[in-house]
Amino acid sequence: MTNLNVNVEHVTRVEGHGNILVDAKEGKLERVMWEIPEAPRYFEAFVKGKPYTQLAQITARICGICSIGHALTSLKATEDALDIEVSEQDVKLRELALHGENMQSHVLHVGYLALPDLVGEGSVIPLATSHPEELKKVISLHKLANELSRVTCGRTTHPRRLIPGGFSKLPSPLELENMKTKLEGSVPVLHEVASFVKGLSSALPDFERETEFISLTHDDEYAFYDGKIASTDGDITPVDDYLSVTNEYVVPQSTAKYTKNNRESYMVGALARLNNNYDLLSPLAKEVAEDFGLSPVCHNPYMNTIAQLVEVVHSVEDSINLIDDILDKGIEEQGLNHQPDIEPKAGTGVGAVEVPRGILFHEYTYDDEGRCTKANCIIPTNQNHGNIQHDMEKMVPELIGNKDEKKIELTLEMLVRAYDPCISCSTHYVDVNFIE
Amino acid sequence: MKITIDGKEFSCKPGQKVYDVAEENDIYIPTLCLNKLNHEERPAGCRICLVELVGQGNAEPKLESSCSLPVHDGMEISTKNKVVYDERREVLELLLSEHEQDCRNCGISGDCYFADLCFEYDIDGVSVCSECPNRKDGCFLARDILCLGPVTHAGCNAFCTRNGDPCESCFGVLSNKDVLVFGLEAFGENGFTRDQVLEAAKVFSYEEVRVLEELMDEYDLLNKEVSE
Repeated sequence: MTNLNVNVEHVTRVEGHGNILVDAKEGKLERVMWEIPEAPRYFEAFVKGKPYTQLAQITARICGICSIGHALTSLKATEDALDIEVSEQDVKLRELALHGENMQSHVLHVGYLALPDLVGEGSVIPLATSHPEELKKVISLHKLANELSRVTCGRTTHPRRLIPGGFSKLPSPLELENMKTKLEGSVPVLHEVASFVKGLSSALPDFERETEFISLTHDDEYAFYDGKIASTDGDITPVDDYLSVTNEYVVPQSTAKYTKNNRESYMVGALARLNNNYDLLSPLAKEVAEDFGLSPVCHNPYMNTIAQLVEVVHSVEDSINLIDDILDKGIEEQGLNHQPDIEPKAGTGVGAVEVPRGILFHEYTYDDEGRCTKANCIIPTNQNHGNIQHDMEKMVPELIGNKDEKKIELTLEMLVRAYDPCISCSTHYVDVNFIE
Repeated sequence: MKITIDGKEFSCKPGQKVYDVAEENDIYIPTLCLNKLNHEERPAGCRICLVELVGQGNAEPKLESSCSLPVHDGMEISTKNKVVYDERREVLELLLSEHEQDCRNCGISGDCYFADLCFEYDIDGVSVCSECPNRKDGCFLARDILCLGPVTHAGCNAFCTRNGDPCESCFGVLSNKDVLVFGLEAFGENGFTRDQVLEAAKVFSYEEVRVLEELMDEYDLLNKEVSE
């Protein structure tokens, strides 16, 4: 091969707009670039001056996929700043909500966005004819995830019942019992979907690049809602010091900021969580992981899709346990349209939650009336952009000469999709060039 | 005996009313005054069940109350054209103009068919309170929580208030001034200030803030000072 020009504008089957540019001349690589041209969002600017009661509702709109995750991270930051207590029961219900969203997002990615690559199709639509039964199972899992989100949050997207201090309305014991029955009924379906994906997993490229994986970690549970920041390089950092981990910087080809910690880049998401917390996976999830030969520390970014599948199994199993716990203790009565008594005060707080694409940070400063004076949100996809770029830089030279342009293009697109990026959420930065 | 409704032929018996034939055949015609209690008397008072009797020969089409219109063989009825829609809408508007606006304290709010019809016929004058089940003492305003339901378009089935959160007016404020003024007065009566109301309205649109501000000035509503 002499010359290579790859220009994918924009990568499909990901959220938002991202471009892949590769130029090689006479077998020599000249340029590899992961470009983010999406417009910035300005959420941090327009929550300024808003009262603490509105922040979770507003910031949940950053994303239509991770709205529960954004709402919970925002609430945790607010609750940290204003010293608001949340009951054990409400924390469990929030964890349940987070599982609902995690399943929603992972099933969407594994089943509709990544699966077409594995069966060699351009989208999920042809699968309705080629693999109808398997697709129906995927859809049934998605429906179950939607249902779990609706029962805990009032609706499937943009939660309404999550408020500072707890919940404005709780699910009824009957709703939770029905949910548990449905979750238990989904276990055989999960196994079938897992074995279907297993049969196709040889289509996942065998690529490795050693990098750092960052996620929350917790002594007693596979961390989603709570924990400290862990790195596969061995560091444990308290959530309050998140800035020492993220170290954001800007690059000319992107409206999203990039991040780095110990190395030139790091990865967040299902694979990072699995690499840091493998031992705390639920028994069934561990079985599925073993089935795919997935064990820590896995440095193949394409395995992120498999890690997501493992997490779906974990979420189902953990949700059943959480519901059992909540029902055993009995749901505490709270008045109709519960609004906790909160005394606003000045303060700063940080919230960190593991959302489907990785660790999400919100930090707010409030004045003594409880109005936001400063906000910072660091979104998982931001944290992955640098790693995608460095993966491409390592991968392209390995591919040149062995594969044709179309195959290289597909392998690179699959790499981007493996990270399941949510690009429009990640854009914060706008570079203005004044021409004199 | 046969009649045609919306292009489809149906059998019927002499003496039956058009409304009943439609109902038997799952054709929806709205009505407010006809119910189980007065089914035999047929008050034909609300005029919402209007349908068009298609003229035969040279006869002009006529609008009739379907609940009191007896069938005759070969009759042709239209329940869904623009004339019928507009006429029903006008009747609803007239009924609404005579209607008590205090949905917050009404015993059937949250389950009000009249409000549902107003929404169905796109009438600007029904607030979220008509769809909200938290009436009287359960109302957020009565519990010192500012809820924008009284000034907000119905149509969401009061999603947020049903889930325990006050309304933030994402459907936008009504343009019917009478209802808006009534809603703003309700805020004042419950001790909310101008600034608090405007602050809450800002979440979704500054345009709405302007509308509310102008009304407050015009009718001198709500204290301009922020209360302690």
